[in-house]
Amino acid sequence: MAPHTDIKRGSAELMVLAAIEERARHGYEIAKLIDDRSGGVLRFHIASLYPMLYRMERRGWLDGKWIEKAGQRRRRYYRLTPEGRKVLARQRSTWRELLGALQRVAGLEPGR
Amino acid sequence: MTWIQRLCNRRRIETDLAEEIRGHLEERVDELVARGVPLQDAVHQARREFGNVMLIEEQARQVWKRRWIEDLLSDGRFALRQLRKAPGFAAAGALTLALGIGANTAVFSVVNAVMLRPLPFPEPQRLVSMWPRSETGPAGPYDVSYPNFFDFRDENKVFEHLVSYRSSPISLTGSGEPVQLRGEIVSWDLFPLLNMQPILGRAFQPQDEDPGVRAVIIAHTLWKTRLGGDSGIIGRTINLDREPYRVVGVAPPGFNFPVGGEQVQVWTTLATDARSATVQPVTRQRGARMLSIMGRLRDGISIQQAQAPMDRIAASLAERYPQHRRYPGVFLQPALDDVAGLARGPLLFLLGAVGLVLLLACANLATLLLSRTTEREREFALRLAIGAARSRIVRQVMTEALALALIGGLAGVATAAVLVDVAVPLVGTTIPRIQQTTIDGRVLVFAMALTLVTSVLFSVAPAARLLHDRLNDPLKESAYANVHGPGRLGSTLVVVQIAVGLMLLSGAALLMSGFVHLTHRDPGFQPERLLTFSIGMPGSEYSRARQLAFYDQLLERLGHLPGARSAALAMPLPLTGSSMTVAFNIQQRPSPPHERPVSNMAIVSPGFFQTAGIAMIHGRDFGDTDDADGAPVVIVNRAFAERFFPGENAIGKRIEPGATSDERGTRMREIVGLVENARQSPLGSRADAIYYFPYRQLPWCCPSVIVRAAGFPASLEPSVRSVVSSIDRQLPLFDVRTGDEILSVGVTPVTFLTALMVGFAAIGLLLTSSGLYGVLSYSVVKRTREIGIRIALGASRPAVLSMVVRQSAILVGAGLVIGIAGSIAARRFIGGLLFGIDGGTLLLLPTAVAVMLATAWLATYLPARRAASIDPMFALRSE
Repeated sequence: MAPHTDIKRGSAELMVLAAIEERARHGYEIAKLIDDRSGGVLRFHIASLYPMLYRMERRGWLDGKWIEKAGQRRRRYYRLTPEGRKVLARQRSTWRELLGALQRVAGLEPGR
Repeated sequence: MTWIQRLCNRRRIETDLAEEIRGHLEERVDELVARGVPLQDAVHQARREFGNVMLIEEQARQVWKRRWIEDLLSDGRFALRQLRKAPGFAAAGALTLALGIGANTAVFSVVNAVMLRPLPFPEPQRLVSMWPRSETGPAGPYDVSYPNFFDFRDENKVFEHLVSYRSSPISLTGSGEPVQLRGEIVSWDLFPLLNMQPILGRAFQPQDEDPGVRAVIIAHTLWKTRLGGDSGIIGRTINLDREPYRVVGVAPPGFNFPVGGEQVQVWTTLATDARSATVQPVTRQRGARMLSIMGRLRDGISIQQAQAPMDRIAASLAERYPQHRRYPGVFLQPALDDVAGLARGPLLFLLGAVGLVLLLACANLATLLLSRTTEREREFALRLAIGAARSRIVRQVMTEALALALIGGLAGVATAAVLVDVAVPLVGTTIPRIQQTTIDGRVLVFAMALTLVTSVLFSVAPAARLLHDRLNDPLKESAYANVHGPGRLGSTLVVVQIAVGLMLLSGAALLMSGFVHLTHRDPGFQPERLLTFSIGMPGSEYSRARQLAFYDQLLERLGHLPGARSAALAMPLPLTGSSMTVAFNIQQRPSPPHERPVSNMAIVSPGFFQTAGIAMIHGRDFGDTDDADGAPVVIVNRAFAERFFPGENAIGKRIEPGATSDERGTRMREIVGLVENARQSPLGSRADAIYYFPYRQLPWCCPSVIVRAAGFPASLEPSVRSVVSSIDRQLPLFDVRTGDEILSVGVTPVTFLTALMVGFAAIGLLLTSSGLYGVLSYSVVKRTREIGIRIALGASRPAVLSMVVRQSAILVGAGLVIGIAGSIAARRFIGGLLFGIDGGTLLLLPTAVAVMLATAWLATYLPARRAASIDPMFALRSE
């Protein structure tokens, strides 16, 4: 698959991984968190969020579990695995490098 | 998670997905309601934001279902783009593959035509050939007598039809120039056996075997050309061997039997053999073994089931007729296996050799691809980091390999088509059915499979590397590329290439030495300036006396031809591959019939040894007095004397050969002469033991004629023809050949095999050396900076040179050790496959090793010199 598709998917994965870094969250929460944190700029297409979660689970980056709390509906919570944590760290550094390079090359000074 | 587990889990995943989406919607609705939106509106808004749930679920499912097809397509597009970006790599790869796949496809197409393609008759798998079998093993074809055949035919219950056949040249006169035709004498049910019908007229019937019946079925080509293609031919008579034969049928176009030989032009029944010029027709001589046998198994009976009943018949025959050679069993094999005959071993050998070439090509490509993968590590690492799955990248590499293999495969099939077109006609008809070689469906499937296997083979190494290496590192490493040389995989591949390359080389050396041995050894006669030919003499018109008179007159006139030195008769001619073997009894050590020694025999006229250039060692040549009235004599060759009279003087000894031509039966004959070995068979490493009869004491029909010319032998042909037709205008001349032609035709299969093998070895050497060169020069390029620093710090250039050479020497050394072991092992295995070519001398392997070393040195020297000439300043600045 061509690299630009990888980048799109890669960025989405990075966001999802980051969203569950501190604690386990369910799908709705993840979508909402990304929406909120980006100030509404990055909005997930729901249709791709869930398949992506499943895919990342299959790769062993995160762990999904159905949890029923009293008085709440059954929800599937996603938790970062140790492997996922490593991937997140790697992806962060790569993106940092990539963004740094973009900044230098394309003049994308932060805050401009 | 495996594919199977994933498949099982799909249903669970889908229900989970549906529940999560439902939960997601409800969550949103709850949130909106909490904000004060009325429930009805909240549901609508959530739905609106979310889109069509069904559609999304469907899309989500599609993500799982269709992704691999899309991925494959985009992988393919990307692969082609990558190949376009690296045209040098693509061209080198495609060319390597085209050679490898092309050579393999070409050899396979020959194997297919000769060994695999079913016989062109209905239900060919039920056709079985039958040889007699002695205690020591199958006796070979042409070894059944008529009386035995009749017994097998009548007594067996396992064959629907059992047919005898033997080839017999027949002259056709009365329709233009007299010609000699290829004829086949068969039992009546040949066509029912093959389940075929003549296109005109009828097949033979049982009564066509009755003595006195002269029925013939003619080949389609003969009918169309020589006989005018008139459909009124049925019922007409044609003159075969100057006797009128009634044409009862015309065979379908393309029909030939026996399969694999030259086109037979007429088939007639064994009635021809039932009236014979000799005392007793061969159809009644149990000792005259001359027939080949083919049968069609009854429906539902296998070869294994037929074995025991046929063995029983053979055993009972051996019991009933103890005075004849004992064959207590039979050897049954599919008729198809019989067709390939002796060519089977060499073809399998070739297939193995050419497979090694492909292996080399794969190793070479793997090396190329490996260096490319290393170069692209940063690209892969980046893609991996931004979310590409490792498996996707591996698949990408494999798709690229497949794309390359497909291009190479297509070019390979084209190469094979050209090779077949060019090479196959050169082989002639010495290998059965080889002229029917085509690139058919089976060959295409083979080429396709080869392409797929190849692409997997040469992409496994790079893919394995991608799977196991930490690809993320290079991103951080910046430009400080790894300094570990070609890597373990690359080194392993080079070692494999050198080992396989050496095996090919030693195989080629083996064949070359065999070839040189065959062509340069003394054939025992002087073939240069010899002209040989045969005459189609009809037994019906030529009584014994007339035959003798004819040859007397012929030799007399030929001897006086201007440009001819001498002329003589021989049957069979040396080196033509045809031989007659007859058992004999030794007077001083008599033995019962079935234990008697067997040797080649030949019938020659006085002056034959001198004309052929065979040296007389002791004793005397035959003379005019060695005729029917003279004392029975023979002359033997050195091999005969050494084998049957070791340490004794053979001259004066007496033997009683089983060959006879008159009512006096076999006679004790005195050995009166000893001659040098002249080879009867063109191949094989041992000299054949031969004993010679004087023609006048055994005037079998019909000897060939040899003429020794003063000058160029072929120029004698017109005058020879006119001499023959001046004696009898209706006698056809055939098989007119010079001695040199006989010599070269006999070794054609070996020439063919050797040329191919040398070609394979050359390709192998090229691939091996370019593989080694590629790996070394790549590692030099990668180490440019390191080498630059070394030189800057004071390393001498010879030291740098020797560093690269050392690296090469380790690889080459390991490859040679494995290759030598492989060659020795392979030699044991292939010894028997190759027309009896000897294993060759011990010198061959060192020669192959030397050639490989020289090539390896060349492939090492260039990169080493480049390393030594690296400019440190330039190397350091280049970063």
